Amino acid sequence: MRVVAKIVVVIAAAIAGAVLWTHLPLSAQADSYQPPRTASGVPDLNGIWQALNTANYDIQSHPARPALALIPASPRSATPGLDRATHVELPAPVVRPLGAVGGVPAGAGIVEGDEIPYQSWAVAKKKENADHWLERDPEIKCFMPGVPRAVYMPYPFQILQGTDKILIAYEFAGATRTIHMSTVGDSPSSTWMGWSRGHWDGNTLVVDVTDFNEETWFDRAGNFHSDALHVTERYTPVSPHHLMYEVTIEDPKVFTRPWKMRMPLYRRFDADAQIREYKCVEFVEQLLYGQLGVVDPATGTINK
Amino acid sequence: MPYRSLILVGVVAIAGAIAVPACYAPPSPTASSPTTGRTAWGDPDLQGVWRYEGAIPLERPSQLEGRDTLTAEEVAARERVEKEQEAKRLEGVEGAAVGRRSIAESPIRGNEYNSFWQDHGRPRQVSNRTSLIVDPPDGQLPFTPNAKKAEARAAARYGVGPFESYLDPDTGERCLTDGVTGMMWQGPNGGHNRIVQSPGYVTILHEEYRDRRVIPVDGRPHGSIRQWFGDAVGRWEGETLVVDTTNFVDRTNYEWANIWTRPSESLHLVERFKRVDPAAIEYTVTVDDPTTFTRAWTAMIPITKLPDDTQIYEYACHEGNYAMPNLLRGGRTDAARTSSR
Repeated sequence: MRVVAKIVVVIAAAIAGAVLWTHLPLSAQADSYQPPRTASGVPDLNGIWQALNTANYDIQSHPARPALALIPASPRSATPGLDRATHVELPAPVVRPLGAVGGVPAGAGIVEGDEIPYQSWAVAKKKENADHWLERDPEIKCFMPGVPRAVYMPYPFQILQGTDKILIAYEFAGATRTIHMSTVGDSPSSTWMGWSRGHWDGNTLVVDVTDFNEETWFDRAGNFHSDALHVTERYTPVSPHHLMYEVTIEDPKVFTRPWKMRMPLYRRFDADAQIREYKCVEFVEQLLYGQLGVVDPATGTINK
Repeated sequence: MPYRSLILVGVVAIAGAIAVPACYAPPSPTASSPTTGRTAWGDPDLQGVWRYEGAIPLERPSQLEGRDTLTAEEVAARERVEKEQEAKRLEGVEGAAVGRRSIAESPIRGNEYNSFWQDHGRPRQVSNRTSLIVDPPDGQLPFTPNAKKAEARAAARYGVGPFESYLDPDTGERCLTDGVTGMMWQGPNGGHNRIVQSPGYVTILHEEYRDRRVIPVDGRPHGSIRQWFGDAVGRWEGETLVVDTTNFVDRTNYEWANIWTRPSESLHLVERFKRVDPAAIEYTVTVDDPTTFTRAWTAMIPITKLPDDTQIYEYACHEGNYAMPNLLRGGRTDAARTSSR
């Protein structure tokens, strides 16, 4: 075979391989994929990553809806035979000016089996949370989002692998987790972002997260946990540009059994991808404190 | 502000402040690089938890005008005072100064309710230097006249008010930040900072306000997005990390904030982290901001490495900011009293 023909064959084979590679499901790729290693010899997870799904709206499968806060439409009495306006539920007045920006896109759930095994009292609590989303969701107040919610919020995060600590720098609220890869003592207190101990299981970074408070939620749908929450995360590189993220949730105070969520995380490789400053405390002070002082800064008038 | 009033962050930050290494497991035997060595990928290794533990004031006190250094006798006297104060603090006889008051001015000798906020755990290191500022040679901040007025006004209001809205307390009380300029050395917790390195990045995690800087050290130029913490890029000059930060966002409208927390767009910082010893970094920061200063100034700050098992704990300031509603309620009560007179 002539050299040129050989090159053509090699290139064709490479293209075919690449096409085949990109068309394999991630789970199949994961079985064979060998990630690059750091200089210390562990899998290299360094980079900026982001989930691309609608889990922050609702970790379970959900249809599209007009807004996060809804009210029932008034009965329509003027037209005989019609007792409702066109839509049964309408955006609540406080979120109505946002129009389509305030809508909720449909999405497949990330929960294994799409069912969260709440204890019976907790089913009612979840519904109550959803009904009071606007007052209760800690995301609205720029509180630290907790784990795993921080992972699938619509903001990037960066994994920084140090010598015996791995930092995860989240953009939202400037939250940071320190994952201890060597022996560390116990957390002196409960926390928002948990106390993280990590180890390697083959190519997978396994993080055991404990010492949570009961303040964080899983999503904007009111899914919640208690301070008995125990989170086990698994980050597995499945291609140069993807991590498979699997997380097991245990909380005997709220759920009847452990349950899992699973999703791919995508590498951000836009030019100059960085974790930017998102100091949202400043953005919510008017909401939280505007009415409390002598003067309301939004109006310049004296609060009654 | 260097001192914050009682905002309930909880045991976490306090535990960090008190730094109780004895409670924790010994450092891992798997740590792969010696303290003064290099990372596995060949960069100088600055990783660990660091803070400023010195007793040197930023500006040279007026009684030491014209003197760079103290005599051996003066140093010995200061060491005695530090030890005495430390002993008194440990006995609970005397707390640390709170706010901008010195212990001498405090009617209850520093035992204010929120003096627990201060780090009493370790005696401060005495040095023969008379100011952290090494340039200009007089050891003074070269304020412009307007900036000096603004600073004096902010200082006079600190802890005094009036507090008419959430915009009136300083940025620390609002749980926003104490700013990047003093991050390596200010703060009641002594500025605990964890440095973590990964290929192409140096990350500094500061305990207070959970402030964080992810500094690219890969030769990229400055970006164009303005941020409160600016846009930092780093480079290695031999063993020294040099960090150049520009593109600060304008926060001069926060008139009650101090110079550390109120950057203007013209602020430019150049920081140098030079490892001089396994347990010491000589940190210098050059601050250039024609909006605030008549010339660039430089401070040289000795930073100490804390034991390997020292942790940076979660600082949930905003999440537990009960002080803000209470402060504003107090402000309304004051206003109501005044108007009823």
